[in-house]
Amino acid sequence: MRQGFMFAGLLFSCLPLAGTCAAQVGPNDTVLSPAKTIAIVGGKLLTVTHGTIENGVVVMSAGKIVAVGPAASTKVPGDAQVFDAKGMTVYPGLFDAETHLGLTEVGSDQNSNDLAEPSDEIMPHMHVADAFHAETVRIPVARLNGITNAIVAPASQDSIAGQDASIQLYGRDRDAMLLGRDVALAMNFEGSVRRKANYDGPAKFPTTRMGLATQIRQAFLDAQAYEAEMQAPAKPDHKGPERKRDLKLEALLPYLKGEKPVVLSAYESYEVEVAMGIAKEFHLKVILNHVTHAQDILDEIASYHVPVIVGPIYDAPSPDERYDAVYSMPAELQKRGVKIAFSSLGGSGDVRNLPYAAGYAVAYGLPYDEALKAITLNPAEMFGLGDSLGSLDVGKTANVVVASGDPLDVRTSVKQVFIDGQAIPMVSRQTQLRDQYMPLTKKN
Amino acid sequence: MFAIASAQRGCMKLFAAAALVTPLGLLAQAPESAPPTDIVIKNATVMTVTHGTIEHGSVWLHNGKIAGAGASVDAPAGATVVDATGKYVTPGIIDPHSHSALGNDVNEATSPVTPSMMMIDAFDNSDKALYQALAGGVTTELLLHGSANMIGGQAVVIKNKFGFSRDAMLFPNAPRSIKFASGENPKRVYGRRNELPSTRMGNFEVMRQAFEDAKAYMATWDAYNAKIAKGDKEAVAPKKDLKLEALADVLRGKLYVQIHCYRADEFLTEEAIAKEYGYKVRAFHHALEMYKVGDKIAPTGTGIATFADWWGFKDEAWDAIPWNAVMSMREGVRVALKSDSNDYVRRLNQEAGKMVHYGGATEEEALQMITLNAAWIIGVDDRVGSIDTGKDGDIVVWNTDPLSTYARVEKVYIDGDLFFDSSLSGLGTTHFHGVMHQAGFEGADDEDGDGQ
Repeated sequence: MRQGFMFAGLLFSCLPLAGTCAAQVGPNDTVLSPAKTIAIVGGKLLTVTHGTIENGVVVMSAGKIVAVGPAASTKVPGDAQVFDAKGMTVYPGLFDAETHLGLTEVGSDQNSNDLAEPSDEIMPHMHVADAFHAETVRIPVARLNGITNAIVAPASQDSIAGQDASIQLYGRDRDAMLLGRDVALAMNFEGSVRRKANYDGPAKFPTTRMGLATQIRQAFLDAQAYEAEMQAPAKPDHKGPERKRDLKLEALLPYLKGEKPVVLSAYESYEVEVAMGIAKEFHLKVILNHVTHAQDILDEIASYHVPVIVGPIYDAPSPDERYDAVYSMPAELQKRGVKIAFSSLGGSGDVRNLPYAAGYAVAYGLPYDEALKAITLNPAEMFGLGDSLGSLDVGKTANVVVASGDPLDVRTSVKQVFIDGQAIPMVSRQTQLRDQYMPLTKKN
Repeated sequence: MFAIASAQRGCMKLFAAAALVTPLGLLAQAPESAPPTDIVIKNATVMTVTHGTIEHGSVWLHNGKIAGAGASVDAPAGATVVDATGKYVTPGIIDPHSHSALGNDVNEATSPVTPSMMMIDAFDNSDKALYQALAGGVTTELLLHGSANMIGGQAVVIKNKFGFSRDAMLFPNAPRSIKFASGENPKRVYGRRNELPSTRMGNFEVMRQAFEDAKAYMATWDAYNAKIAKGDKEAVAPKKDLKLEALADVLRGKLYVQIHCYRADEFLTEEAIAKEYGYKVRAFHHALEMYKVGDKIAPTGTGIATFADWWGFKDEAWDAIPWNAVMSMREGVRVALKSDSNDYVRRLNQEAGKMVHYGGATEEEALQMITLNAAWIIGVDDRVGSIDTGKDGDIVVWNTDPLSTYARVEKVYIDGDLFFDSSLSGLGTTHFHGVMHQAGFEGADDEDGDGQ
């Protein structure tokens, strides 16, 4: 028997929202008059901050969530467009703690990649916001599975690779989609950063972790000296031009002052310890990243009282480790009181699969609510966006997802995504290809 | 093969691997005691793959084979009983495209035609990738040559009896398969050396030339054999040429042809060349654009082994869509999912689960893609891939529905013998007690192995 083919996108995109139907044109936001007030009615709400509400209502207006609660006690404004979410699950837009969105298009095509500047190791003055390609085909693909916000980070090719940006996955253009430029410093203390000889050329400093460490220390010392020099009053008899700015060292200053977080990547236990030693020396505000093979120092990691972007949990365990040594890391860290977040990097690096990493961590012991938090509120808080993102709460940005069921399950289909209170077109280059060739499946 | 970071870590592991290799003599092989003659796994949700799901069902394994499955089974009183209340039972997962456990020897990338390479000669039965796949419920794998060459080497089919000797892990009497490839990988590998083939025109001409060589070789042998048949005592036998013999076996239909290619036009070209030279294509691997021409490929009987949702890692994967598998299936193509990865081989069940999401496959259809259809691509679907009486006792017990994100493998039986049990402390292996090897290789087609 031939099974009918489900059009996840088409089935729902035009049904409930007459007003936004006209907006279903293409992946980019070219809507001139967005809906003013939308109410999502009848769904099961996963609020993240105040539990689950069966048969709930979310009202969105002017880009914000203006009401959340049980249907019985939450008023739907008379002028609201109603999205019927009966039988569906409603949750805040997902937040990916580390992606390369907008920095790469076709993986193997160097002309489409702006992932990292490998010409030098200390590159804090590389602002990924300057390379962020808002019209990338990858963003609509990701947001169709409910990812509404992300950190864009450079690839981990340098010990200090540049500064991250935070983005919203829908908007008119680059300016509308960038929530924050230079929100964090990407720092890597891991073996792969070493400049060993390879196909691209001969070995050069630093070829060892000693080299990496000394180089990072020197950079921060130089920045401290630079700041002191720039702040020193000019001599009264100073003539000539003003002191020249050093963009590289200047870029490190907010991090030396602890104003913004440093995302510090390390995989092995000893890498974590060495990197945290450097961070302590310079009073850096740290978000640890990966810690994949640091199972033997989990208590120590907890004692740092810093948040951790875990995994990717799909990294393979070492040959002497049990098969689930990495799968169970999120649970083990959370159990010790560590605030965790997931990122989609690693594995296929496909942003749309972010919720499945969280789900797999649940299979290996992470409480469900903590898993959901680790792809919503936790990353938002880590990057200073906890007041506006990450939960279904009044006053927050109206990034809301409606799905057929449990967001962490691979079988679930996302039915509608709202970003800034707008029903985004459930269209990507991939759905367009699907729909173009779909008639072939109907042939007998 | 996607993220820069993971590719680099692969390099790092490569350095580590040398230190981890243990002399074979030190590997402690467990004494291989015989498994129980009769095992009954009872009270489970049994997903048979061929005839629906049995609630509160039992599976009876007798002498390593499936002896029965149903609401009840006629097992003898002395059978070992495994209570699987609340659990799910499926046939063993089958990966029809893997490069695991081949060390760094996946690609003999020194010539675009290397059909006499035998992957069995590189098979390392203590590679940790096998263990991690076993813990993901994978019981059978087709270990293929890489995709650097238009005509690569001959595959080895294994049963994942981790802890057993190399010979004991081979799938007995499995058909022989050979790996072909076209597109960007051979272009890249030879093009950057300014050698043929650096284009798709070059790709396919290399193949045609190889088959012309093989035809000439076969003709030489035919002439010799004809002389012998006529009683010519003076006839001199031509020289045996391993490469041409292997190509001749393709033309003789003795090898299943497994072709790595991505684009719709390439499926059509490959089928045309196969028709021209008179061989059959068993399956296209990757096949990310099959949804565009599935209606034309379906009548040829060629299957596909595809990714669930990988895309965008290179130009020829740019039109990949996650609906490819289900759309191709609806167009009449036999579809399997595969890993091509030491990572994804650990959770092919989740990749199958995505097919429910992308296109609305039924759970049975989704499960077929990682069991029976994968077995067909390898040519062992009469022996494994479903829970049917008479088939091999390759069974996985899961904590919950295997197509959900939350599924964990609890027990893996192969030929009625327990090879993995997650409730055991340590590794959870019942037969492996040695030191694992690490290949320094992520297990993907796109990696060049030592052939760089």
